[in-house]
Amino acid sequence: MIKHLGIIGAGTMGAGIAQAAALSKVEVVLYDINDTILRQALERVKTDFKKGVEKGKLTSEQTTEAFGRIHPRTRLADLSHSDIVIEAVIEDLRIKKDLFKHLEADTRPTTILASNTSSLSITAIASAARYPERFVGMHFFNPVQRMKLVEIVLGQRTSPETAQRAIDCARQLGKTTVVAKDTPGFIVNRVARPFYGEALRLLDENVASVEEIDRIVRIEGGFAMGPFELMDLIGLDVNLAVTQSIHEQFFGEPRYRPHSIQKKMVESGMLGRKAGQGFYKYEKKG
Amino acid sequence: MKKTKPPRQKSKRTKSEGGAGAKVYIVGESPMVEEYAELCATKGYSVQVQWNQEPTRKPVFQSSHITCSSAIPTTSALALELTNTDLVRKRQNLDRLDRALPSTAAILSSSVTVTATEQSGWIKQKHRLVGFGVLPTLVLKPLVEVAPTVFSPAETLNVVQRFFHSVGKEMALVQDRVGMVLPRILCQIINEAAFALQEEVASPQDIDTAMKLGTNHPFGPIEWADRIGVGQVNAVLTALQNDLQEDRYRISPLLRHMAQTGEWWKRTTYFIRKD
Repeated sequence: MIKHLGIIGAGTMGAGIAQAAALSKVEVVLYDINDTILRQALERVKTDFKKGVEKGKLTSEQTTEAFGRIHPRTRLADLSHSDIVIEAVIEDLRIKKDLFKHLEADTRPTTILASNTSSLSITAIASAARYPERFVGMHFFNPVQRMKLVEIVLGQRTSPETAQRAIDCARQLGKTTVVAKDTPGFIVNRVARPFYGEALRLLDENVASVEEIDRIVRIEGGFAMGPFELMDLIGLDVNLAVTQSIHEQFFGEPRYRPHSIQKKMVESGMLGRKAGQGFYKYEKKG
Repeated sequence: MKKTKPPRQKSKRTKSEGGAGAKVYIVGESPMVEEYAELCATKGYSVQVQWNQEPTRKPVFQSSHITCSSAIPTTSALALELTNTDLVRKRQNLDRLDRALPSTAAILSSSVTVTATEQSGWIKQKHRLVGFGVLPTLVLKPLVEVAPTVFSPAETLNVVQRFFHSVGKEMALVQDRVGMVLPRILCQIINEAAFALQEEVASPQDIDTAMKLGTNHPFGPIEWADRIGVGQVNAVLTALQNDLQEDRYRISPLLRHMAQTGEWWKRTTYFIRKD
């Protein structure tokens, strides 16, 4: 059982993991170098809890208690008592390696060190570590509160004990785990590529329109959303970045080649829902 | 935020008039023949079926309006040709249909692995052939992809439209290309999963769980392969590879091997072999 969880980075993912953990009765130290970001994260958690109470999914006692379990901190040394530390900072290998180097010095040798990276190699992040066997990937999905899945990613030198403790931790947070080898895109981001890539090619080849492709995939395929609707929701910039990253990591394997339609749309600022226009137009409510 | 376009359409199962005893002849591969036969019979058609190869387990049809016979009824206004894997046989089937059916009869032929345009070149009365998308288990979905050819006149399309309407399906007209829309996307997802599987990135079960929970797919890719049949998936991918001539459509050797064994790729079977 995990009693103390450390989280590094109070962005969307870090705050989401903190929220899920606090609701599962785990004490959380939420670290960020920036005090303002920490305060904003706590505000977001508070707002989300409030919504949960309004919808009747949570009680106010539950949320008050859970909120009290999240301890915001700006000193890395405050993570020293953690059973597991999950890192959710910017996707930059140098920053992550540096961070874990400091963390190794500040935590017990039994502490599991996990990264929430979606695009970097766990093996590479662990390469500078003294104890690479206690490194593991724990890839949560956004929004963490709603998405049930955590990909447990095994680096080249991750020990079976570390993997098991990461699995147990994710389960304690109410998540379903799958185990993946440390390969580009792990499972989801990799296997989902053709959903977008083929749709873009079908559009380019004029086989059918955006609306028709979405309609076919939804009604004939039984998917909740068509590929273009989903790209608009995810954000075309985010989607393109994931594709590019996997394409590069596989040394240009043509199956992952990004499409020029998407690149042009990103360049023109048609990023999807968040920009008010992507493959579809969106009107602001009210 | 509100999406302005297109209006989110719920699948419209419009009230249909049904087949009212009209004859439909269905020839091709199992299990698509059985699936379409049941659908047509339920909607009031009198159905005659023939398989390219008798299924190993002969299906027991729910409806008494389905008969098995190789003789093509000359009064039939519509025939369905449902072959995706054996294209030599498909050509023979189409030739037989073209000779036996009255010139007013339409032929709806699966155009997932070979375009309808190419198929119309195999027969004399080119005007009567229209392509459509069919893969096992997709038959019951309320939408069908239809690919007319340059030879398809409005009259043939009307027959096709009336037929699909009568069996409760809305049509999505697409350009006549190998793989059409959904089969191409689905089979490429399955192919990617097969590559991941052969590289031992994860277990088949975990790949399915990940895709269902991580990105909300209705089935995992290995489950899709089980449902559609790996032989069909391999046929679609082979057709795409031949047609588009790109490395991107290279087939996972694992998937090809499973297809070559002639078995359906059951996740459970794979587990037994692995462990």
